Amino acid sequence: MSTETTATVIRGPGAPRGGGIRVRDLHKTYAGGVEALRGVSFDVRPGEAFGLLGPNGAGKTTIIGILTTTVRPTSGEVIVGGFNVAREALAARRASGIVFQDSVLDAPLSGRANLMLHARLWGMPRDRARRRSAELIEAMGLAQLIDRPVRSYSGGQRRRLEIARAVMGSPHVLFLDEPTVGLDPTIRYELWSMLRDLRAGQEMTMVLTTHYLDEAERLCDRIAIMHEGRIVAMDTPDRLLASLGEEVLEVEANGASGTVTKLLAEAGIPTDGAFEIGSLLTLPLRDGQGDLASRRLREAALPLRSVALRRPTLDDVYLRLTGVKLASSH
Amino acid sequence: MLFQLFTLYRRRMRLLAGSRRELVVPLVTPVLFAVIIAPALKKALGSFNPRVDYMTFVAIATVALLVPLNSMFAGISVFTDRTYGALRELLAAPVPRWLVPLGNVLATLTIAALQVIVLVVAAVLRGATLHTSVTGVLWFAGAAMLLAAAIAGVAEMLAFRLASQEEYVGLTPAIAIVPWFFAGSLFPISVLPAGLADVARVLPWTHALALMRYGLVGGSNSGLQAIWGNHPQTGLALASLAVVVGFTVALLTVAMQVFRRSALQ
Repeated sequence: MSTETTATVIRGPGAPRGGGIRVRDLHKTYAGGVEALRGVSFDVRPGEAFGLLGPNGAGKTTIIGILTTTVRPTSGEVIVGGFNVAREALAARRASGIVFQDSVLDAPLSGRANLMLHARLWGMPRDRARRRSAELIEAMGLAQLIDRPVRSYSGGQRRRLEIARAVMGSPHVLFLDEPTVGLDPTIRYELWSMLRDLRAGQEMTMVLTTHYLDEAERLCDRIAIMHEGRIVAMDTPDRLLASLGEEVLEVEANGASGTVTKLLAEAGIPTDGAFEIGSLLTLPLRDGQGDLASRRLREAALPLRSVALRRPTLDDVYLRLTGVKLASSH
Repeated sequence: MLFQLFTLYRRRMRLLAGSRRELVVPLVTPVLFAVIIAPALKKALGSFNPRVDYMTFVAIATVALLVPLNSMFAGISVFTDRTYGALRELLAAPVPRWLVPLGNVLATLTIAALQVIVLVVAAVLRGATLHTSVTGVLWFAGAAMLLAAAIAGVAEMLAFRLASQEEYVGLTPAIAIVPWFFAGSLFPISVLPAGLADVARVLPWTHALALMRYGLVGGSNSGLQAIWGNHPQTGLALASLAVVVGFTVALLTVAMQVFRRSALQ
């Protein structure tokens, strides 16, 4: 099936343009005083793919919980698909589809029964639910196993079924909470492809939480980077990376970071963007200064453990903003 | 809303009916009482009243043991929903949240009804003697289903509030079995010590069991007079029905409130 046809099937007939989301000053404190969200605000445009990137405990799942009305906010306002989640919760839920981080399928039931259950709970007439499930079963490659109990499915098969289930009702907004966590790389790439097909028509708004940098970069139009309950940066992946220049110099300085930055500054390389975690010094570079920086450090013969030049990643963005490596927090 | 309730009911039915544990295990002890212990007690001890067939007396009481056990066992599947995530799907669905425990309770009642039929048939085949009518069957069925619904409400509350399935299972005897012994199941409550007899009179189990006996064997052997005193049976039956209905409505209402508050963090 072609990408465009798959997108059409997954979107569904006559599906409306994706709904927008507005979040204002969202706070959440759990019982016991755990402050999960400390004043989060953001907008998601209709049809946009928006990512919430951060380590475990950053507040991403809490935000998804509040947007899907499964977690009560302490304060703040949330609008999903045009509906206030506090006052119009049923309507907001009707406009949404969710792929949860953990499987919510009824394992003793078949895949088909799980799809039909979801459709009926979302108010679809039986005939339309049957037609829609047939389309999605075909599009998601589930035909061979759809009538087997879900407990017999592999992790990747379950995740495909979860996605099919979430889009049964052609939702305005699709939420995905860590959709590929725990899956092997092949399955992850397969699911990314399916999710990109969903986005192909740009009519379904998608909100994705992840701690995988590559997932955020590949799937999202814009990313909000979260740390300890706050959004510390929000922009397109390209602009976030561009804030660090074309490349970064990574130096294991062994306590000599002051000497390194002084040396590079004397060579005319701006060092005000440098940040250090432990003994690792990272310096964003622009205008092709990487070669110059490497040469100066070689010539100076400082007792450095390593020097590396590479492209910046969102991990570097996160590290500079929070002082913690995103990748090391898992 | 009705078809969403039916969808929730159907889901729970498919999950309960697919589990042999939840269908068969609650039946074991009551059937044991009805077909083995009751006849043995009758043979060994005779009866406390020559007009009362003791085997039938105990056999009907086993229904009041079965329905709470079934309700409590059905509550274990709520833990499964909580533990394995399906509860989140239900909370995220565009259905009024109070429908979720209500759908569970309706499914529990259906399973209970089927099990009660099995139990009563087994007791009759074993020798229990019933003197009933259509109205009598309605009294019996109504009392059994109200008791099942009330305990299903308790089960839902505990399943949403308790931290672990172990705690829940630990409470099952206290809720499903202990009250049964004081409800006039093996002997009339009038033979209990004075204080305990007063406790038995306020237990909804006692009223439900008396109504079941009123429906299936009628006469003065139902136990209604032991509760209320010497008055016309129909009036006493209505009074006990009011107690059981009130108990059931209160518990189901609280169960739905507890669900709404506990299900969300």
